[in-house]
Amino acid sequence: MAGLATAFGSGAMTNSINELEDVDVVIVSGSNTTEAHPQIARRILAAVDRGAKLIVIDPRRTALAQEAHVHLALRPGTDIALLNGMMRIILDEGLADDHFIEMRTENFIALRDQLFKIDLDEIAAITGVDRQLMHTAACLYARAYKSTFCYCLGITQHICGTNNVQTIANMAMLTGNVEKENAGVDPLRGQNNVQGACDMAALPACLPGYQSLADMQIRQKFKQCWGVDVPLTPGRTVLDMTHSGHNGTLRGMFVMGENPILSDPDQTKVQATLEGLDFLAVSDIFLTETAQLAHVVFPAASFAEKSGTVTNSERRVQYMHQVIEPIGECKPDSTIIAELAERMGYEMYYESMAEVMEEIALLIPIYGGMHHDRLRSSWGLQWPCPNRDHPGTPFLHKHYFSGGKGHFTPAQHQEPFEPPGDAFPLTLITGRIYHHYHTGTMTRRCASLNRESDKALLQINPVDATTSAIRNGDLVELTSRRGTIRLWAQISEDIRPGQVYTTFHFSEAPVNLLTTGAADPIAKCPEFKVCAVKVARVES
Amino acid sequence: MKETTVILAKDNLQGLLRKLGRDKSLVAPVTNQWGDTLYTEITDIDGTELDLSKQPQASLKGFFFPQQEVIQTYDTTAGYEFTPQRHIQPTLFFGVRSCDLHAVLYMDMIFSSPERDDAYFARRQDTTIITLACTTPFANCFCNATGSGPFMEYGYDLQLTDLGDRFLVEAGRQQGEQILQAWGHFFEPATEEDVQLQYQLSLEAGGRFQRKVEVEHACRILASGEVDEQIWQQLSARCADCGGCAYVCPTCTCFNIRDAQQEPSKGERIRSWDACTFSGFTRMAGGHNPINSDHALQRRFLHKLKYDVEKHGKPSCVGCGRCVDICFGHVDITTFIEAVVED
Repeated sequence: MAGLATAFGSGAMTNSINELEDVDVVIVSGSNTTEAHPQIARRILAAVDRGAKLIVIDPRRTALAQEAHVHLALRPGTDIALLNGMMRIILDEGLADDHFIEMRTENFIALRDQLFKIDLDEIAAITGVDRQLMHTAACLYARAYKSTFCYCLGITQHICGTNNVQTIANMAMLTGNVEKENAGVDPLRGQNNVQGACDMAALPACLPGYQSLADMQIRQKFKQCWGVDVPLTPGRTVLDMTHSGHNGTLRGMFVMGENPILSDPDQTKVQATLEGLDFLAVSDIFLTETAQLAHVVFPAASFAEKSGTVTNSERRVQYMHQVIEPIGECKPDSTIIAELAERMGYEMYYESMAEVMEEIALLIPIYGGMHHDRLRSSWGLQWPCPNRDHPGTPFLHKHYFSGGKGHFTPAQHQEPFEPPGDAFPLTLITGRIYHHYHTGTMTRRCASLNRESDKALLQINPVDATTSAIRNGDLVELTSRRGTIRLWAQISEDIRPGQVYTTFHFSEAPVNLLTTGAADPIAKCPEFKVCAVKVARVES
Repeated sequence: MKETTVILAKDNLQGLLRKLGRDKSLVAPVTNQWGDTLYTEITDIDGTELDLSKQPQASLKGFFFPQQEVIQTYDTTAGYEFTPQRHIQPTLFFGVRSCDLHAVLYMDMIFSSPERDDAYFARRQDTTIITLACTTPFANCFCNATGSGPFMEYGYDLQLTDLGDRFLVEAGRQQGEQILQAWGHFFEPATEEDVQLQYQLSLEAGGRFQRKVEVEHACRILASGEVDEQIWQQLSARCADCGGCAYVCPTCTCFNIRDAQQEPSKGERIRSWDACTFSGFTRMAGGHNPINSDHALQRRFLHKLKYDVEKHGKPSCVGCGRCVDICFGHVDITTFIEAVVED
């Protein structure tokens, strides 16, 4: 998000999901779209059926990569090098959009100077991607009138995640593929409301609606509404908190709908932190691994038991209707928060959820026209939607970027934090599979989904499997500098030699016991996608 | 014997349903506040507006074979003791489309042999089904190609045909005849003109289908030959493994059974819908799957269009088109039929 915000002034999908059906060229990078975003993948495939060209950048041969016209199977963590190489080719071929660069961007010279220093053979060596393939992909992307770049966590979950995103923005601006329909830069959000959570400032350094914490006028606005001074110092990031250890700087935590014991990297550290807290409260719909450590657990209502809105990947705010009464003692999150606040001496009384939305509309300009009566019987509205008459915004940055001019920020290749070596010769990539959601707190409880996928599998290339005398279906031990887990080998050509892949859905094989806490310095997003491991067969 | 044919003025429909709903629950298509048309249980006929203009999004399957149901409770305190759970609710279904009734007749057959399925028939017994002939087929319908519509020829209790301000009512089974006798004052005799008008509508309905799906042609090809490997692979590559086709299909009846423990020695035995497109449907304990993912759709399409034709003489697809609506990979049964016929 930070990367796009620097380049374009706003961190969200610049297009609408439906626009993907009408692109000419689409690059999908670091996204196993058919499994993680099937409803987006269907639109990409519809475009391919219509004649669009699909370029997939992914170390693995994902299902989408198998449908791609060009698959760039780069070495994990070399996205900047690859894209810089492609941009150099675009410059050399005279395919840069000079007019767009002049009208709508700034700082191009810095990028150009850097690109001219690049040696494409060196790029091929760093990335492991053939020069000719790189050339084909670069020309396809740059020549088309409507090219879109979709990316997901394979781009952001690196120590250079912010720079990765800025490099994608550079390439879109270099070719003028943004600020119009069917062309742009589209980060695919992982959850139904992660965009909404960011919009509401479940982020450490801004006020809701990405408004500045330091702006006196904005602070005054919030003070008037809330009756309290908003703290001036930014909050702490998740990793900063869950990795703070048992050192007393963090004494209490209230965790809502998250399971950091399984979802945050370097589980040992997370566990030490949570166990060392004076007080831990967790609110969730099931007793998660994190909730089991809590002093107090609030049973939360599920999506079907409450009303309210969620904001999806394409900035669309959608109303969710309550269909059943909350079961047992559970309560909607909003009620839990309001009742807690009241007992702490701060009254949060709202007549209804619609009144909460009214406050959101008053305080957040991009939500200014979002009211429940407009949302209840429609498919929702896309922000920015500044007032009641505004129809919402399908694609961003028409006429100008929200931050003024689009800003080129050149970036250089940076090796992953923990490259493979003699002791730990393989690179572990982590991700998700179709049938499970995150740490499995919900989907592992569903009999059909759990039958489809009931145990953690380690995807491993036949070459590496042979080296370690591993057969398909063997129980194996996967070890990094931080721990060991056991899971089952799945031999596959879809992963390259030297790399292995698994997911974080299974508490029996908590892969985040292995991952590193190294994170991007700006976004603080951890490098889930690369760590060094070794594998051995478990002798029975 | 020619069945009884009478006329029901539209103005009399509500009154008739009020009477019929007295000793049975009444289920009919209603469009809810979110715009979804569903077969809905109606408790207040005077306060409910029926919607006979749209195809209900779900079939009748769930009424007789719910997505999830407790079929037994168990107690292992003193040996194994199972107590069957049966749900009997006399119900009158009104406004059912012919595809959906054909599907119920198919389910009756599936659930009666080799052994009678008591859980199914508990729900199914004592139900009356009044169908509404389709004079204007919906966008994805192809029941003309599967021999299950748009008008019923048998199997209904009563069949209604919309003649404008009145319905032509045909009694097909004894239960229908009984309704006509018990509530005779709601009806009036049908004229030859009414019968001719209904025939005209059925003729025209046959020509109004928007899709041409060559079901019979495909069945003939499947009966005599193998399907090109590439077709399976191409379709399976686009199948998102969501199970939606099987869930909305009015004739897909695969189920799974699991036990849900509630106390150390007590629990419920639960039956829930399953789908043969899932890999877990055939995957063995050791991980081997006799049907690999390249052929994920094979079981479903061949069951509908080949094995059931061999066994029962006709395909078990009723042409309702619901899977066409639900499939976001565009690999529904019509895509398969087209591929087989073109090949």
